[in-house]
Amino acid sequence: MQEKDQYRTDARNAGDRLVAGHVSEDPFAAAFKATRMPMIVTDPNQSDNPIIFCNEAFRRLTGYRDDEIIGRNCRFLQGPETDKATIAKIREGIAAGHDVAVDILNYRKDGTTFWNAVFISPVRDEAGTIIYFFASQLDFTTVKSREADLAAARHEAEAEVAKNTANLKAALEARTLLVHEVDHRVKNNLLTMASIVKMQVRITADYRQRQTLMSVLNRIEALSTVQRKLFTLDDVSKFDVSEFTKELVTDLVDATGRNDIRLSLDLSPLLVPAVKATPLSLIVNELVGDAVRRGLMDGGGDIHVLVKRLNGHFLIRVEDTSEPVEPDIESTELGRMLIEASALQLGAEIERKQDGRKTVVDVVLLVGDHQENTH
Amino acid sequence: MKVMIVEDEMLLAMELEAEVEMAGHQVTGIAMSSSQALKQINASKPDFAFVDIHLMDGPTGIDVGRELAAAGIPYIFVSGNIKRIPEGFAGALGAIEKPYTMNGMKNALTYICAIVEGDESGSPPASLVLAEDAHVAKRFG
Repeated sequence: MQEKDQYRTDARNAGDRLVAGHVSEDPFAAAFKATRMPMIVTDPNQSDNPIIFCNEAFRRLTGYRDDEIIGRNCRFLQGPETDKATIAKIREGIAAGHDVAVDILNYRKDGTTFWNAVFISPVRDEAGTIIYFFASQLDFTTVKSREADLAAARHEAEAEVAKNTANLKAALEARTLLVHEVDHRVKNNLLTMASIVKMQVRITADYRQRQTLMSVLNRIEALSTVQRKLFTLDDVSKFDVSEFTKELVTDLVDATGRNDIRLSLDLSPLLVPAVKATPLSLIVNELVGDAVRRGLMDGGGDIHVLVKRLNGHFLIRVEDTSEPVEPDIESTELGRMLIEASALQLGAEIERKQDGRKTVVDVVLLVGDHQENTH
Repeated sequence: MKVMIVEDEMLLAMELEAEVEMAGHQVTGIAMSSSQALKQINASKPDFAFVDIHLMDGPTGIDVGRELAAAGIPYIFVSGNIKRIPEGFAGALGAIEKPYTMNGMKNALTYICAIVEGDESGSPPASLVLAEDAHVAKRFG
């Protein structure tokens, strides 16, 4: 106890000497005393490197009186929750004579804790010997608790996101299942409708009636081909007119069983919004069907189908050369009505030119990019 | 040729039967489930089969296909979703996608009949997706 008191007196004397080295109007000393930043000076040349000077801000921060501070090593601010590794870091820095900057949990006189951003720096004399350590403190407890609040909020948000993601996944699975189911039903229903018409054809004796039924079947099957080609692209909102045209025309020409029909195709990929698939496909079906009925079916000939972009618009051209025959009036009339309705719906322009045995029909779909992208 | 039809929608099956018969072939039977199909494969020894993937007992058409392939009987899938056919097509020649058209089915039947009889000179119709093409599409697509 005696020994300890002696240390305190030594420390106090050292502090007094430090202050005495500065005249009272020394602005550095005045600044040290008056600054709002808690600061201390320790003397490493005394046993256990005691604090020899502290400012008012340090006393306010820690709650200790001056006589409870001077002569003690800084470790009296540590407590049970103080991180051991951080303490070791300070000790090593001081032993090596380095600057140390650490965040440490410290305890006030009343036992409450605060987060302290400590900066410790050695002060050397002209010979380079360490004569003091200077330490500044910064209470960043509010920052620390804000960090904790933020972390808690982030965990909460992450949990919420995880929950929402799971819900969305489940909803997506349900939707995918529903889309498959609906697609399957539409396909089956189209095939069932076609089958019913075909059955009626088979049991109908009258040739004219059979022709009429086949005419209906042809249009149902055009829709079947559309349905098959929908949702096959990566972008399910788009429909490739060329893919459709290729299958429709080759199947139609193959099925005539005539090898004197020369088919040539010039098809570039032409993606349109899926909503335009049905009217566009009906137009292609009617134009090709018309060419077949007007002569190709009876006497063979040439048919050329072109699908491409033209000056930002879409062009579909059906060109046929054949010996003309009188087509079935009713089927021709139905074809005319379907083309007219579809063209109106699409805002398409249709131009038909006939030159002897050759017929050329151009369908121009006027599309701005904005239209192309609408669904 | 003797054709087996594996399809659980009876109306579609009967209509297909009529088309096969009109093309000059015999239908050995219609199977609505995989168990019916397996019985018929052994009993009637068809030359060829149409196989729907979704049957009365679930998506068992694939198993029926593997059974046909093991018995050395050529067949094609008839399905509304050919994307779901496993890689390698389970030994099938190819697939026709529903809803097929009368012309599409007729052209496919003509081509298949030639293949089954050993004539490989014809070119496949647009309505028939060949197994090797589907392979290539999967690999490069």
